[in-house]
Amino acid sequence: MNEALITLDDLSIGYNNQPVLSGISLSIARASFTGILGSNGSGKSTLIKTLLGLLPPTAGRIYTASTSEPLVFGYVPQAFQLDPIYLLTGFDVALMGVYGRVRPGHIVPPIERTFTHECLRAAGAEEFARQRFAELSGGQKQRVLIARALTTRPNVLVLDEPTAGVDREAKDLVLKSISQIHKEKKITVLLVTHDFAAVRHYAEQVIWLYEGKISNGATHELLTAERMAKIFETGMA
Amino acid sequence: METLYQILSPDFLLRNSIYTSVLVGLACPLVGVFLVMRRLVFMGVALPQISSTGVAIALSLPLWLGFNLSEHSSQSAHTLAFIGSITFSLTAILVLAFLERSGRGQPEGRLGTAYVVAAAMSILLLSKNPYGEIGWLDMLKGEVITISNFDLGLTAATLALVIAVLGLFHKELLLVSFDREMAIILRKNVIFWDVLLYLLIGLTVSMAVLSVGPLIAFGFLLIPALTAHMVARNMKQFTVVAPLIGGVIAFLGFCIAYKLDLPVGPTDVVLLGVLYASTWIVFKMVPSKSAARPT
Repeated sequence: MNEALITLDDLSIGYNNQPVLSGISLSIARASFTGILGSNGSGKSTLIKTLLGLLPPTAGRIYTASTSEPLVFGYVPQAFQLDPIYLLTGFDVALMGVYGRVRPGHIVPPIERTFTHECLRAAGAEEFARQRFAELSGGQKQRVLIARALTTRPNVLVLDEPTAGVDREAKDLVLKSISQIHKEKKITVLLVTHDFAAVRHYAEQVIWLYEGKISNGATHELLTAERMAKIFETGMA
Repeated sequence: METLYQILSPDFLLRNSIYTSVLVGLACPLVGVFLVMRRLVFMGVALPQISSTGVAIALSLPLWLGFNLSEHSSQSAHTLAFIGSITFSLTAILVLAFLERSGRGQPEGRLGTAYVVAAAMSILLLSKNPYGEIGWLDMLKGEVITISNFDLGLTAATLALVIAVLGLFHKELLLVSFDREMAIILRKNVIFWDVLLYLLIGLTVSMAVLSVGPLIAFGFLLIPALTAHMVARNMKQFTVVAPLIGGVIAFLGFCIAYKLDLPVGPTDVVLLGVLYASTWIVFKMVPSKSAARPT
């Protein structure tokens, strides 16, 4: 296994000092593909929001591998969170990822626009990038958001249920895009999902949130046939 | 045609009024676009009214403190009114935006109450103010007749500032409005950009209320942006078409009001309403090309 890129040390996460999960200690390896599994309300979104710096931890620490610059997270939210009232094209949305590198008051340089086109191509979203974002299908929106995450030049790609509400065909396309990007660019991927099958197929490592506890390990060790049978018997998924 | 020649003549007596109307028509929709996108339409209705209450309180203060405002120059009264207007606008927008974001209570109820109480207070305060009877009550009704050079200059300066700030920081303001979480992840100072936008909205509202009154101010804040949203295909068109609608309607409204001897404010707002309704009918009747988008 590669060196640890992110280490959670006795971390507690929650809202307004009310912990949802406590005592989280684990590592995420560089260039790994990690699936974060758990039922509704288990704390998956709270965990990634804490990792992204959107929520402060209620206790404990998050360490990142020492580099000269802080880690860049490419975040892919669920598309429904974004208000359709904005008259933005897919390209406009993807271009927002470069805003972190363009100083306020400066226009986006042509090189960043070209890079955005490359990212749209890598995410399989170039053909509909000129259409209005709000009018795209669920799967197309997710691919644009993956492209936007890539334009940030991320060390870590964090995807919050990217296949929720999309049809089977679109789901396969989205997951294949993510997997291909992970392999080609060697980006660390954190995929939050309910989809056990997707995790078994694509993820090398699993973080499993269940009844206030966290299990963490290699996919083939954690998602065994017996365990899966037990999960579906108890209806936890 | 003769009316048009009269209005466009450099010697036209009400030239300050038409220039100010057009400038307000251009400036208000520029910030109105953000009110519409952030779904703060009710705030666009309440703010001008709260701002005019600020004007009323500022003009009543000297009276309460035993000073006679009519002894002082009109410029002092305007300065006082501007301070009252901007103080109330900015305080209201920051408090209302904070409450909106914290998700406490019912936003519509809060804004509705603020609007109606502010409207009643303005009329009550100015009806007991001898200075108010001279012109401020007319202003609250939307009579754009006596516009001073000071008001015209203030309106032009505000428009220039709004265009400069929105032009320079459009991408930051758009990002923070569209996807706040993404903005935080990209290490943008979201509170700074929010406050900057609210300052801009507050300043524009204050300027508009002071120059042309709350009726025209909230007409031009919202209706051009709502109309442009139906027509525009992208953000660039949206931010250009909305002020264009505002500017053109302000000019047309003034011409019609002058020709037919009507008050300018209500004429402008009715014209905006007619344009909004016609656009809505046309765009709902004509099937949208986007209806056939792939899934």
